[in-house]
Amino acid sequence: MRNAKPEMRAIFIIILLLFFTFLIAPLLVLFFRSFVSDDGGAGFSNYMEALSNNTLISAIGNSIKVSGATAIITTTLAFALAYAVNFTRIYQPLKSVVKVGILIPMLIPTITYGFAIMYTFGNQGLLTKLFGRNLFEIYGFNGLLIGYVIYTLPAAFLLIHNSFKYIDKKFIIVSKLMGDRTLRSFLNTVVRPLSGALGGAFVLSFILSFTDFGIPASVGGTYDVVATQLYQAMLGSIPDFSQGAVIAVLMLFPAVAGVILLNYLEKFNFHYDKFSETELTPSKFRDSFFGAASVIVLLAMLSVFAVMFITPFVTAFPYDLSFTWQHITSIFQSNDLVSVYRNSLIVAVLTAVLGTIITYGSALLNARTPIKGKQTVDIFSMITNTVPGMVLGLSYLLLFNNSSLKGTFIIIVLCNIMHYFTTPYLMAKNALTKMNPGWETSGELLGDNWIKTVYRVILPNSISTVLEMFSYYFINAMVTISGVIFLVSAQTTVVASKINELQHFAKFNEIFVLSVLIFLTNLLVRAVCDALQKRTAIYKK
Amino acid sequence: MLELQNISKQFDQKVVLENIDLKINSGEIVSLLGPSGSGKTTLLNIILGLTRIDQGKVIFNDEDLSHVDMKNRGFNIVFQDYALFPHLNAYENIVYGLRNKKDTASVEEVREYIEFLELKPHLKKRIGELSGGQKQRVALARTLVTKPKLLLLDEPLSALDGVIKESIKERIKSIAKEFGLTTIIVTHDPEEALTLSDKILIINQGNISQFGTPFEIINQPKNNFVKEFILRQLQIKRQNIYNLFGEKYA
Repeated sequence: MRNAKPEMRAIFIIILLLFFTFLIAPLLVLFFRSFVSDDGGAGFSNYMEALSNNTLISAIGNSIKVSGATAIITTTLAFALAYAVNFTRIYQPLKSVVKVGILIPMLIPTITYGFAIMYTFGNQGLLTKLFGRNLFEIYGFNGLLIGYVIYTLPAAFLLIHNSFKYIDKKFIIVSKLMGDRTLRSFLNTVVRPLSGALGGAFVLSFILSFTDFGIPASVGGTYDVVATQLYQAMLGSIPDFSQGAVIAVLMLFPAVAGVILLNYLEKFNFHYDKFSETELTPSKFRDSFFGAASVIVLLAMLSVFAVMFITPFVTAFPYDLSFTWQHITSIFQSNDLVSVYRNSLIVAVLTAVLGTIITYGSALLNARTPIKGKQTVDIFSMITNTVPGMVLGLSYLLLFNNSSLKGTFIIIVLCNIMHYFTTPYLMAKNALTKMNPGWETSGELLGDNWIKTVYRVILPNSISTVLEMFSYYFINAMVTISGVIFLVSAQTTVVASKINELQHFAKFNEIFVLSVLIFLTNLLVRAVCDALQKRTAIYKK
Repeated sequence: MLELQNISKQFDQKVVLENIDLKINSGEIVSLLGPSGSGKTTLLNIILGLTRIDQGKVIFNDEDLSHVDMKNRGFNIVFQDYALFPHLNAYENIVYGLRNKKDTASVEEVREYIEFLELKPHLKKRIGELSGGQKQRVALARTLVTKPKLLLLDEPLSALDGVIKESIKERIKSIAKEFGLTTIIVTHDPEEALTLSDKILIINQGNISQFGTPFEIINQPKNNFVKEFILRQLQIKRQNIYNLFGEKYA
């Protein structure tokens, strides 16, 4: 209703320019590049070549197979955990442990999962030793499956857990009073209202597994998947940009289909306006079953990561288990590794600061100004949600390879900001939409200009969301490998990509120490943000 | 004196207001009364300067304000939901505007407003800790501190219950009297409008149905809408009260 102010327009123009340069243009270049053959001709020849490449075809088949299996297992486990937390009367502290513990994998790079799996299930692995024999072959399908399940479980859990909050528990009581048997009651009052979320968790796990690079890079072995094919096409012995572009476009297809499917599944979610706290009916069997299940899942997950914390502190795992600081000190004495860690910190801090500013600005324009064309930001958000990190990184490589941005921190930071834009954008938009729409007008009538009201009123009232956005960007920038693998140079190597190099020299102690460092850094940032959030919450009341 | 000349407004082809023409004298309380969707809030926003007009003029003390920005008109409003800033306490909300224009009100004057609205015991409280009536008074104080030339109130009583409603009503009347402040109130409740204001503007489907004093509206309703929508409601209420107390209280 009001008119757009010049300062709103200025911010809008900056945001539009950023997205056109660092999202739309690279993707268009990638798309066109996939139709240009190496001899300069245009057409489908690259695609024909790709489709006649048996390794690639089997890699696509493998990716679909292992991602599909992951999605089924992850969805089942995530449902069981979310059910235990929301719909059982198990011991309250256990619920808190599950809710926090399940999120631990998010703080660690996926490439580390692979090495943790090797050290747990491999020939000399922790569990192999405990059981006295190899449980199964880990390189290839099995290893990938375990890695992907651990990787996708937190995201799937959060999705289902959130939907559980919208289920009215009264229906369970009504269903019981109407005489439904256990199974029928379960299907009607829990599974049916959750069907959208369960479908969503399946699709999400599938896309995440399909597009991840870290896990196959470490534990894939000779089992080819699309992500490793893309890596080899671009950074193998003979770089083939045309093939790389084609594989990237092929990788984009399931991602696009997945996002469309996710939006469609959204319709199946129930949205109750009002629901009251209802006590759950007691059930010994239900509680002990789901309590045990969640403990087992959590322990299994943590046992995989246990080696990460043990290996660096023993002399030579698993032969000599005497305690030593030697690996730790040698890493801190190595300039190389310290500088890699410093690079990661620089990238993560810059991504978090700039990302939060850009994302908050975009959400502010979209949610609280009358500016024309503000819906474009929603479209950008949908695109960033769809494009896998590897595809985005590759498109940057194609567009900026000959520019001065090549090999700089800023290109990595911009790639991270675009790659992880959607979630913090939706957080900010959600928070800003809920605020009183009269604040800007009130501020203006009290003598503020728009920027001043944003600074004096809007920002202080959304500080908790800003912290959340900051830590989301920071943590993801710390752990991502798929987004940056094509963009790092010798000077800008970050921890996750360094780990990829270190594996070729079998330097597993270094790998684990670096991973622990990332983990602790992320934990610290998360804890500080949480503490600050608590403070602002008290201050508000 | 506030003068509205031939004001019209459309939103996407739909006519919301048509040929609104009226004069409001200084120091008067005027209610804009009509059912939801009648255009009364749009008219309030037009006077405030939040909504642009398609046609017509807004003139205040012989000055044409039709194309003057909301900020420069010198009017102020209390929103229906108050739009208080929750991260500040009551006092910080009241003096918010003084950070921008320090000399609008002296410390002494601010103290007077606070005392007049009986807010002294609540100054340190967070907005979330205030009751509806207290929030209303904080919002009034925040607005009055800016010394508006015209006070606009959007449904000031709708969020309040019973007894508080009556006391805020008296408060609004005494503010208008004490500060000689022209006050325009949007409401959908005929009883509220007729007991609170000097004049009432009844709006129906974007047009003026009747503009007059409470006495004129009760005794000389101009058309069927005023009879059916306004008077009928009051008569039913009167009947209910009679039934409760008996005819002798008529």
